Amino acid sequence: MKIFSFLFILILTFNFSSFAETDDERGLKIAKEAYESTRGYIDSTSEQLMILIDPKGNEVIRKISGKNLENMDPDDGDKSLIFFNKPKDVEGTVMLSHTHVNDDDDQWLYLPALGRVKRISSSNKSGAFMGSEISFEDFSGLDYRKYDWKYLGEENYEGEMCYKLESYPKYENSGYTKRIGLTDELLRARKIEYYDRKGDLLKTIYFEDHKLYNDAIWFADTFRVVNHQNDNSTIYKWENRQLNIGLNKKDFEKSSLMRLAD
Amino acid sequence: MIENLFQQKILIFFLVYLFLTSHINALDFKTYGFIQQESSIYINGDGKHNQDNYNTSLFGKGTFISYLQEGDAKFTISAIGRFDQNDDELRYLDFQKFKYEYYFDDIALKIGNEIVFWGVNETFNIVDIINQSNLAEDIAGTKKLGQPMASISYSQDYGIFDIYLMPYFRERPFSGKEGRPRLLFEVDKNSITYESSAKKRKMDFALRYSAVIEDLDIGLSHFYGNNRTPVLSPNPLTLKFDSHYPILSQTGVDIQATKGPWLYKLESVSAKDGSERHLSTAGGIEYTYYGIRNTQSDLGVIVEYAFDDRNNNPFNNEGVIGLRWSLNDIKSSSLLAGYLFDIRGNSNRFQAEFEQRVKDDLKLFVDVSLNGSIDNTDFTYQFKEDSSLTLKLAKYF
Repeated sequence: MKIFSFLFILILTFNFSSFAETDDERGLKIAKEAYESTRGYIDSTSEQLMILIDPKGNEVIRKISGKNLENMDPDDGDKSLIFFNKPKDVEGTVMLSHTHVNDDDDQWLYLPALGRVKRISSSNKSGAFMGSEISFEDFSGLDYRKYDWKYLGEENYEGEMCYKLESYPKYENSGYTKRIGLTDELLRARKIEYYDRKGDLLKTIYFEDHKLYNDAIWFADTFRVVNHQNDNSTIYKWENRQLNIGLNKKDFEKSSLMRLAD
Repeated sequence: MIENLFQQKILIFFLVYLFLTSHINALDFKTYGFIQQESSIYINGDGKHNQDNYNTSLFGKGTFISYLQEGDAKFTISAIGRFDQNDDELRYLDFQKFKYEYYFDDIALKIGNEIVFWGVNETFNIVDIINQSNLAEDIAGTKKLGQPMASISYSQDYGIFDIYLMPYFRERPFSGKEGRPRLLFEVDKNSITYESSAKKRKMDFALRYSAVIEDLDIGLSHFYGNNRTPVLSPNPLTLKFDSHYPILSQTGVDIQATKGPWLYKLESVSAKDGSERHLSTAGGIEYTYYGIRNTQSDLGVIVEYAFDDRNNNPFNNEGVIGLRWSLNDIKSSSLLAGYLFDIRGNSNRFQAEFEQRVKDDLKLFVDVSLNGSIDNTDFTYQFKEDSSLTLKLAKYF
């Protein structure tokens, strides 16, 4: 019997140890599970507050509100609407995005001063979003399909065991060459370090204020972004986030922009 | 200063409506706007018609949006107004939007004043026709007047159909005697004729189909009604321009292809204006360099060309080269500069607009307009002395 249990344990160990999968496979598996644990939100609304802080400590506030629509197509991205509220000179501006996994997004901007909807180029997912240290690319940074993955091991972070994962963007216009992140045992991202196109450390995003929504999905309600090159930082907060509220799919089309704006 | 009885009636109707519904629904609304002080210096000194070489102006815009019937309906007021030091024609109030909209599943109904933009080009907006241009504001015609209308939108997966009925025509405002730039003569408001016997009350009609097909945004449109552009003819007795508004029947197409950092744009119309038919086409490309020199700033290059088969059209063979530089900084600093030129070399004009947020609710604009070597037979010759530098400071609410 002892021999059998020993063999049994041996088989189990082989099955679940790194012998059975490479570091790439293990990394991908964790990233995929982590991403899938954030799915099923169907749609969402939220208000978002950004505090932009310069090295001297001066603060500037940005406010937007957002609507998101989950795309059930496993090969495509979600749709989002962003309503700009602050600074006041951008009030009334609305941006619609149909995101794609490893391709340029489709984006339209409603500009109230011109009463005009413009299709805009979105090759620049890595640009500063509203002058902050976060870029549009970062909002979908947990989408495992956008990266190649590598498992680096375990690391203790704030007293908790985390998986350390390295990822390399597949999207050719990505602003990054590499990311190193920590994901905890509840599959929540805790921090990600971003390396720029030259391979230098650019910034770190700390994911904080994790909240369990609808008893099922963990979302970080604060992104704290620290830029190591210019010493600016951004605190990005989600407020009044609501999931699965039955938004109209048609709201996420170009033809609805005027109606949703003014 | 509401222009006419028709708008007055609509105004009263909606105020009553709003009053009645506000008791039923908790009134869910938002308001925002700005007031802007503008100062211009004309660098060639006094104008050809002895206009002042300095001008100051106060401009404002206010928007009120109320969501009714649990978001199925919306009532919007958006008004602009200006008080200009020198030009009488730039003392006005205009209801750009004064509209009530109701949304069914696939259908949207709208009644009231609205601004509708058609087209894709940056400079040569030849398809755009619904709203009258306020030429007193801007000789390029980009500033519009609210158009009274009733419209229906029908949206399907394969595109959206819009039908517009426009029961009231708005005459084009031109710069007044003291305005700058201005035409050779004043435009006589008491000498306006129409091809249509219904004149201003002609029921203008427009139809548009638009769709997004992957990288392409396309629009097909037709307009039948009073031409927004009048034919001006000098009257030797009054020494003013008489204006005549022919009936315009215009079919247009506009297409934009978005391929990564490249935008390709094309607009074309075939139009019967009075008794003559003409063809007008304009298009161009826009390319954006992102993150230039390892900064956050983007540089866009815009090239557009316009062709019109009418020889007497001032924009029958025009080009523009433009640059758009966005710093993407905390102040949202940006610069848009454009060089417009007649392909045959008769005229050219340089325009630049710089803007930067100076405080959270305060924004600074610097506009430069330089009129270059101009042939005295060219339409723009009359604006030769009107190169200007304008500073604007806007306070947002």
